[in-house]
Amino acid sequence: MKPEKLLEHPLATHKLTLGCPVLDRCLGGGIPCNSVTELVAESSCGKTQFCLQLALFAQLPPSHGGLSASSLYLHTEFPFPFRRLHQLAHSFSSSHRNLIAPDPCEDVYVHAVHDAHQLLDIMPHIESFLASSKTRLPVRLIVIDSIAALFRGEFDNTPLDLKRRSSLFFKISGKLKLLAKTFGLAVVVTNQVVDFMGAIEGINGLRVGNLSSLHSSGRRVCPALGLAWSNCVNSRFFLSRNEEIVRRENNGSEDNLCRQTKRRLDVVFAPHLPQSSCEFVITKQGVFGVDR
Amino acid sequence: MEVGRLPLSASQRGKLISAGYTTLASLSSLSPSHLARDLRIPESEAFEILRVASLGCRLEQPDKRTAIVNGGQTAWEILNEEKLYPRITTSCADLDNILGGGINCKEVTEIGGVPGIGKTQLGIQLAVNVQIPADYGGLDGKAVYIDTEGSFMVERALQIAEASVLDMSQYNELLRKESRACQIKIQPTDILEKIYYFRICSYTEQIALINYLDKFISEHKDVKIVVIDSVTFHFRQDFEDLALRTRLLGGMALKLMNLGKKYNLAVVIFNQVTTKCTEGSFQLSLALGDSWSHSCTNRVILYWNGDERNAYIDKSPSLRSASASFSVTSKGIRNSASNHKRIKLM
Repeated sequence: MKPEKLLEHPLATHKLTLGCPVLDRCLGGGIPCNSVTELVAESSCGKTQFCLQLALFAQLPPSHGGLSASSLYLHTEFPFPFRRLHQLAHSFSSSHRNLIAPDPCEDVYVHAVHDAHQLLDIMPHIESFLASSKTRLPVRLIVIDSIAALFRGEFDNTPLDLKRRSSLFFKISGKLKLLAKTFGLAVVVTNQVVDFMGAIEGINGLRVGNLSSLHSSGRRVCPALGLAWSNCVNSRFFLSRNEEIVRRENNGSEDNLCRQTKRRLDVVFAPHLPQSSCEFVITKQGVFGVDR
Repeated sequence: MEVGRLPLSASQRGKLISAGYTTLASLSSLSPSHLARDLRIPESEAFEILRVASLGCRLEQPDKRTAIVNGGQTAWEILNEEKLYPRITTSCADLDNILGGGINCKEVTEIGGVPGIGKTQLGIQLAVNVQIPADYGGLDGKAVYIDTEGSFMVERALQIAEASVLDMSQYNELLRKESRACQIKIQPTDILEKIYYFRICSYTEQIALINYLDKFISEHKDVKIVVIDSVTFHFRQDFEDLALRTRLLGGMALKLMNLGKKYNLAVVIFNQVTTKCTEGSFQLSLALGDSWSHSCTNRVILYWNGDERNAYIDKSPSLRSASASFSVTSKGIRNSASNHKRIKLM
């Protein structure tokens, strides 16, 4: 065993761009390689949008913030959003014409996973797939969208089942981190939220990370899978959406409220980042940060 | 073979043995220049070998000392020895205060807390601070950093190292007003170079590395801190046999403790927080169970108090239980900002 020379590492970890300079600035350059990054959000906040965008931008050369790599997209929620990927790929390839292959969809490998045991079972296959280098570009990004869906059924709320479940978390995370380290991968997992129940404060209300409480759609929420899973990821980012009244319109007798959805990205914890946040919008072309 | 037991580097030991010096007696009446000629090494190195040998010789002959067992010391000797060695500062004065001046050498300190509380930050800070030169009250040592979770980021370590160098040069300027102090020559990259970084991907690797550390540190004597971030991660994966896990962890803790004593270095272990189910109600506690909690000399728990990060001495043979606030800034671990305000108000 030999210690690794820190100076031989690049002084800044390789980062995968999110495809938007504002978002990149917020996250210190993007999603770090050799590390597991988690995106937590309730449904329709844009988790999958981020993931699809990352899968495309990974194909850019490093000079443009990418990894010159293809990606492996493990989806556990059905159906896989092929149409949206195609739409994003279209605008992506027209804006980066000379940097990538004509059809960027070809460099996104999609695989469906139904439960946690299946994920563990296919890990050796994933490893040999990564090592085989049969792909046009080497795989440098693994997305699991979402990890929470793998544990939906099967597990009860009894101490024994919870213990079994958390040992699975650590197993999955250990494997992912091993792959990340061996192949220099960026690993992105998405996670859902559960509503915060005031009745069992103490455990459920336990503060993890920079924000004392997480709010989305006006409700207090906390990441699914509990404290055990929080220990399994290196960085956690929280996406939220909140309806805000932007202006009041008074035409005659009717009082019209103009509402707008405000989306936000927060750094909950990350070893390399201070607390920061950024607003973003989702358009036809993808996810973009809003500079304020 | 007596020479084999001396705390020398493997190459030196090899040279001694191949030149025929196998017993301590054979070295006792030798001059450094003679030994230097025999082994073809510089005289300074020969001198060092003879010094180590004479030390070893003294330990072999207990009748000259008051100790009952070889290598035994009286409490008085230990106390005096402890005063000689500075502690490793955390860069947060309040935290240092409750720790009795910082992390102590020869002791195993366990630090636990929820994700995002700053465990890794504290680990990087200690790995940097152990290198503070003796002129600035530091140990001028090196660090072994064992990363089991992959949370160590070189860019963050560099950032903390830069802040540390800046602090030292500012301190230098303050000193220079009274007397001429030497210019600070440390570069942040030098600090990175003195952190021996090991990335561990399974529990077998972790055990193997702990076993190997003894050899590694005997060859790198200037290592003054071993940081394990975290001891827990791989041991929460797949252990059907919890008795086996307890035995493995117990053995590992024992080795770390011996390492700390033998080489006079600090061992800092990070642990995770888990929920413990006792009689139907859930409580928070550090992971790895009750028997593990006996394995460390000191136990510090990091927790949130409102918006402030706090540390609490949970267990220590010599420190009273106390808590202090700290904050994680771009420069690393520092005093809590609200505390500053309080002081300014007074």
